[in-house]
Amino acid sequence: MGQEGAQKRGSSTLPTSTAPNGGSRTGRPLRGGSRQIHKTLNNIKITILCGLVTILVLRGTIGFGSLSTDNDLENQAIIEETNRILAEIRSDKDPDDPEDNQNQPTISLNDTYTLGAKISNWDEERTLWLNRNQDFPNIVNGKARILLVTGSPPGPCDNAIGDHYLLKSIKNKIDYCRIHGIEIVYNMAHLDKELSGYWAKLPLIRRLMLSHPEVEWIWWMDSDALFTDMVFELPLSKYKDHNLIIHGYPDLLFDQKSWIALNTGSFLFRNCQWSLDLLDDWAPMGPKGPVREEAGKILTANLKGRPAFEADDQSALIYLLITKTEWMSKVFVENSYFLHGYWAGLVDRYEEMMEKYHPGLGDERWPFVTHFVGCKPCGSYGDYPVQRCLSSMERAFNFADNQVLKLYGFRHRGLLSPKIKRIRNETVTPLQYVDQFDIRHSGQATATSN
Amino acid sequence: MLDRIIGPRRTRQFQRLLRNGKVTLLCLVLTIVVLRGNLGAGKFGTPEQDFKEIRDTFYQYRGKRTEPRRVLEELQTTIETTSSAETTNNYAEFDINKLFVDEEDDVKKNPNEPYSIGPKISDWDEQRGEWLKQNPNFPNFVNPNKPRVLLVTGSSPKPCENPVGDHYLLKSIKNKIDYCRIHGIEIFYNMALLDAEMAGFWAKLPLIRKLLLSHPEVEFLWWMDSDAMFTDMAFEVPWERYKDRNLVMHGWNEMVYDQKNWIGLNTGSFLLRNCQWSLDLIDVWAPMGPKGKIRDEAGKLLTRELKDRPVFEADDQSAMVWILASQKDRWANKVYLENHYYLHGYWGILVDRYEEMIASYHPGLGDHRWPLVTHFVGCKPCGKFGDYPVERCLKQMDRAFNFGDNQILQMYGFTHKSLASRRVKPTRNDSSNPLEVKDELGLLHPAYKAVKVSSS
Repeated sequence: MGQEGAQKRGSSTLPTSTAPNGGSRTGRPLRGGSRQIHKTLNNIKITILCGLVTILVLRGTIGFGSLSTDNDLENQAIIEETNRILAEIRSDKDPDDPEDNQNQPTISLNDTYTLGAKISNWDEERTLWLNRNQDFPNIVNGKARILLVTGSPPGPCDNAIGDHYLLKSIKNKIDYCRIHGIEIVYNMAHLDKELSGYWAKLPLIRRLMLSHPEVEWIWWMDSDALFTDMVFELPLSKYKDHNLIIHGYPDLLFDQKSWIALNTGSFLFRNCQWSLDLLDDWAPMGPKGPVREEAGKILTANLKGRPAFEADDQSALIYLLITKTEWMSKVFVENSYFLHGYWAGLVDRYEEMMEKYHPGLGDERWPFVTHFVGCKPCGSYGDYPVQRCLSSMERAFNFADNQVLKLYGFRHRGLLSPKIKRIRNETVTPLQYVDQFDIRHSGQATATSN
Repeated sequence: MLDRIIGPRRTRQFQRLLRNGKVTLLCLVLTIVVLRGNLGAGKFGTPEQDFKEIRDTFYQYRGKRTEPRRVLEELQTTIETTSSAETTNNYAEFDINKLFVDEEDDVKKNPNEPYSIGPKISDWDEQRGEWLKQNPNFPNFVNPNKPRVLLVTGSSPKPCENPVGDHYLLKSIKNKIDYCRIHGIEIFYNMALLDAEMAGFWAKLPLIRKLLLSHPEVEFLWWMDSDAMFTDMAFEVPWERYKDRNLVMHGWNEMVYDQKNWIGLNTGSFLLRNCQWSLDLIDVWAPMGPKGKIRDEAGKLLTRELKDRPVFEADDQSAMVWILASQKDRWANKVYLENHYYLHGYWGILVDRYEEMIASYHPGLGDHRWPLVTHFVGCKPCGKFGDYPVERCLKQMDRAFNFGDNQILQMYGFTHKSLASRRVKPTRNDSSNPLEVKDELGLLHPAYKAVKVSSS
């Protein structure tokens, strides 16, 4: 377009270049003036030409006076469509939900809520089943069968970082469980719409216990808890007379009645009648709506330090155990190792740990589990600065991953680095290192008798 | 002034010449500039392209890339202020790429050294056999008919460029965890790039080799792409069929050996036996992988040699087709190209038929009636660009996931409300005799998971 214009203008200047000379031959009195005029005209034409050149050059380089091309328009349309799809995926709207959720009646304060049909003879039923099914024993190779249960909401997190750390978290659990022969159930379904949120683990645990009689221990673990000691194994022999293993401090529990005396982010339930009964006793504060709200008020009133919010499973369990102390005879409050390790006091010390200690200890020297309470990467806002949470989670993940990669001869280039470097050269006899470094073979797995 | 030297008339002519010359020059410059601006000249390209190139190089150092295909961008632009970045509690405001710190430098590789995936091992069968004898607690067969299998998959250690990519990776690994739990298979989820030269689709080769050598107890290694999902939870791979074979891939003999078609087989889901033969195959497979000139040149060769292959750098699948077709005598007798069930099932022809399958068939078939694996080739949910429309890919991945998940949930008495819905509903009333409830698909306690009871 500009080209034609330029040529037009170019052709229009050429004939006129002769004009001043021609013009100067007309009248004598006008000779000086007309020459001036023609000179001025010439100058103007040249100025216009230069101006044109400048504009074209500018347009060619910077897109001065932008006109969006067809390509851009198409891109815009695609971006808008994609944003619409992403927003739809992220929203909780279900295409097949004809009824509004508001129409669903919530359980009123007078109704009693039950987790399921009452079962009273689970121990006998289970023993019978195990006898009939000898090829699904509850003890394999001398170790009781454990099922690790974890989960996350069925939809995408509020932001992409959350899903990425859920992925890293499940990889971390897969690694630990592969090394220690534990099976994993990753739940993404809300089995009971009353018990939503953190309460969702209760119907899930119950369901899994009843469907898998061969499982001796059900181990619930939050999605924001990471294994940081890949060698440490649970000292199950310590718990032969107990049915619930949970991390906490007895003095905080009984003396101070603190709402953080125990942590329900990582605990074990034995598959037995006692556990079913405890779950039944635990559930009533859970149903969402007025029940949960009222229960929340009771808990805040009775537990030290608890802020005012609806009932959560941890406070409810603490309250249950301190009011009905007969449950405590089968509860083991563990704090000799970090079955749950609060992250803030641990994450800065990883380098010091790597220098001074070794995996297998499970305690403050080399924590078994680092639990990122309060970070909430799947939501929009956490209780701590994002930078601190995410860098700490990345460090914990890499700290654990180094222990896994050791067998393969690699480690991370720093606890914040996703890249790895070689720590052992390739060899034609790799099996010597397998014997030395594989946690399952080398006897590094702690045979715990205390 | 010039009047005195060459005469007034000459002066006027000279001045006219100068003026004409000026105008001509100007027009010439104008023409050149316009031409260059529109058409590009020689190898320099248009000024706009130059500017883009400069911008790109600059951006590269800041870790960004621009590519010329359709773009999937985040809805919210990240608002960063240097002061609040460290103290914000809002995840939407945080740029994850600022988090990663590589403490040590890349190891500079000697460019003259030819690529080697590892030192040549020639007696792996003997070494492994010896090890298995010395370690009877780690047998390579968990049951007389069932070898020990390690399923290997993986993804990048950095967050996906697509904001929902990580969510689909999470669903995909959950799907694999479920299948592998039922079938007694172990999983290795890789998030580490073992060899920087073998990046991209070639990254599986050094990983597979490393895992074979580090896990002698594993009999079969099952590589599965992160965009492949199990859709038949009841189907058990027919291991006895492969007792004399070392490599099982989905494909067709005619398409590979006769036609040399680049999609005659699929390396998104395959089984590889842990033995010397496999190490030798990896040694022959790897040389086309190192990125840069080698991969590009190899890509040209493969496009030339294989049928219908588009022009792009060498990929592991085309390389495998070429190796099998050109070295048939060496490898073919130990390779099984399976097509009686969908060890890899191209999603395009399967996902619309799920409802029909539910109505007419049942799990356990593994084939076109109820596919074992639905593989979302080309969707690339983790990246910014796929080969198919975003909506179709993501919605169908949800459907495939729910289709598989229904078979898991039915063990516990639940099912999804529909194939598009995340919500579940119970399928039976809660019973006070849970052990008498019939396990229809037999997935809770299947025969292939039975533990050999030793008298002790």
